Amino acid sequence: INPGLVGITEWFLIVLRIADIISTVEFNHTGELLATGDKGGRVVIFQQEIENKNLPQFRSEYNVYSTFQSHEPEFDYLKSLEIEEKINKIRWLPQKNAAQFLLSTNDKTIKLWKISERDKRPEGYNLKEEDGRYKDPNTITSLRVPVLIPMDLMVEASPRRVFANAHTYHINSISVNSDDETYLSADDLRINLWHLEITDRSFNIVDIKPANMEELTEVITAAEFHPHQCNTFVYSSSKGTLRLCDMRASALCDKHSKLFEEPEDPSNRSFFSEIISSISDVKFSHNGRYMMTRDYLSVKIWDLNMENRPVETYQVHEYLRSKLCSLYENDCIFDKFECCWNGNDSVVMTGSYNNFFRMFDRGQRRDVTLEASRENSKPMQVLKPRKVCAGGKRKKDEISVDSLDFNKKILHTAWHPQDNIIAVATTNNLYIFQDKVN
Amino acid sequence: AQNTFSEMMECVFDAQNLISISLRKIQSSRTQRGGIKLHKNLLVTYVLRNARQFYMSKNLSQTQRTHHYEDVSAVRERQDYFELTGSLTELGDDFYCNFTGVESDTWHCGAHQPNGQPAEVPHQDASACAMLSPSDSDLMVSEACWSCADKSSWELPILNAQANQKTVLDLDTHVVTTVTNGYFHSDCCAQSKQPQGAQCYTKKRKMDTSYHIVDPEFYLPDFGPVPFKRMRTDEDLHSDSDQLDSTNISNLISVLGSGGLSEFVSWQQTDLEQIFAAQTICLKHTLLTGSGWTRAIEAF
Repeated sequence: INPGLVGITEWFLIVLRIADIISTVEFNHTGELLATGDKGGRVVIFQQEIENKNLPQFRSEYNVYSTFQSHEPEFDYLKSLEIEEKINKIRWLPQKNAAQFLLSTNDKTIKLWKISERDKRPEGYNLKEEDGRYKDPNTITSLRVPVLIPMDLMVEASPRRVFANAHTYHINSISVNSDDETYLSADDLRINLWHLEITDRSFNIVDIKPANMEELTEVITAAEFHPHQCNTFVYSSSKGTLRLCDMRASALCDKHSKLFEEPEDPSNRSFFSEIISSISDVKFSHNGRYMMTRDYLSVKIWDLNMENRPVETYQVHEYLRSKLCSLYENDCIFDKFECCWNGNDSVVMTGSYNNFFRMFDRGQRRDVTLEASRENSKPMQVLKPRKVCAGGKRKKDEISVDSLDFNKKILHTAWHPQDNIIAVATTNNLYIFQDKVN
Repeated sequence: AQNTFSEMMECVFDAQNLISISLRKIQSSRTQRGGIKLHKNLLVTYVLRNARQFYMSKNLSQTQRTHHYEDVSAVRERQDYFELTGSLTELGDDFYCNFTGVESDTWHCGAHQPNGQPAEVPHQDASACAMLSPSDSDLMVSEACWSCADKSSWELPILNAQANQKTVLDLDTHVVTTVTNGYFHSDCCAQSKQPQGAQCYTKKRKMDTSYHIVDPEFYLPDFGPVPFKRMRTDEDLHSDSDQLDSTNISNLISVLGSGGLSEFVSWQQTDLEQIFAAQTICLKHTLLTGSGWTRAIEAF
């Protein structure tokens, strides 16, 4: 871990890329590769330029490494239902050989992609004519073994597995197990366990569908395996609860091992209490001791050993609490923000509106609001902290709540596992920021 | 006293607006690409339920004041606590948005002022708001207006709305009417058309009418029975049971669920006749002059 990884630091832009509407962002385990998925079903992978990594004044570069179409729109004729090609999640597998593997999923189908490099090609066949037609074998009188010669690097992506037909409802999460053999996929009502090698069946490990659908009161909103304990996973619900499950306990993990829930503050009750308590993302810390949840207005850190309340709560944009009615009307209240940890779990980050994103330093009790926009992101220019004026007299450089642009939202962010490099996705742009190394 | 009344009315309008917006969301979700989002629709039903709970409690306080309707005492029977985690079946009351066309430009209850501070209104207890007799005060422990400090108003029971009350949003006229045990009565919003009430609503918001195109067959199957396509007469009541063809019903929209999933339409498990009987409405013809029921959203 980079010893310079303390606090929130100062950030400047290193990459800005126009994209289709980005729907997921994920660094691989070394941080060398950054994958993005978009609404059109495409995956774009960036690779970090690491030649000068150990030099002072190091400035990363991320260049496009591979682009491929992961999912296509489909039509389910039986249900008369169109299946969106939008990539909901990408998760990298730990690297085992020269190739890289990732899982990408849309609403219904998960695919395992192999991304491999080719920098040599065989040459010297004597089996074909110049124009490509095969020679008459009787005319071939000598055996010529082709040789491999260097070529320009080519990155190929090929689908190795397709995990289909296991989800009735919309897939919201995938998570690779630390055993490197299995992974889970979660939809609104069920969680399935897969083996990476086996595509024609999966195990159902959580099923919260009621016998009578009219009694439905909550859905699964996110799920993740514990980073070290291969038997443990967590799933969050639309009611704001977290359930930690142990797969050793039973085949069907409907009974949770632990239930994490914070009692509702009755003074904050409103028409929208259920909506804003719905958890949109859950992430284990890298050390496996904490979980972080994101609901509409806040980020909460939970200690695995304390079920009755979070150990830390950070308000992302509390000034929106009085605007919930409008946000309900324009559907913004349904936005699903993600959250992420930095490499040593000292800082957490999440997005907001107006292209703002927020970082909370857990140790130093500091937080900062930054903006990902072209106007404010000149190369080598350090990002200036932003401030929202919630009421009263607006100071210079503050932005009033009423002038926030709710169409500009940052739902997806990712933090390099080792360095202070972050990827932030606005609606149509991908920003990669790096901290200022002094 | 008038200020508190108008604040309360504003709260009720907020609830009504929320209800109509929520219904619109559910309706439009049917045509969204990728199928109906179960999660979002579930959250919308929570808003619907919260708004309806609030609205019903306010509406009931108004009906008690008018003393025009014989069923009021029956309606005021104490109900079981309507838990927010209750089943969607419990929402199976027919529910209609009440929308008289008098708009409020503010979404928030009087308690939510632009500056984020709660409105400074006199504390309203149940007796002030609803003019209840003291014996009834336990039914409305604290009034549901947001400005009240006691937010335990969420504990309010739904006062026997289940069997007796229906609300209908007429999509042509945008008139919403509440029907209780067959008696059509205008609710508190209509009363506010009195001059003193109208003063509260000086700012008008342009009404969005773009969404009110609805197939007459439209309904929310999980929440209620077949909608009334026309005004019902006594003769119709008896013939309606024949119309409840389960095939037709299962072909109708399934609002929630992953789009078109028959498993979410649980009509097969429902005793249609039982539902129909419970939802019997006999509308007084005279009260429905000029109001076409051909396009109506029947919620829940």
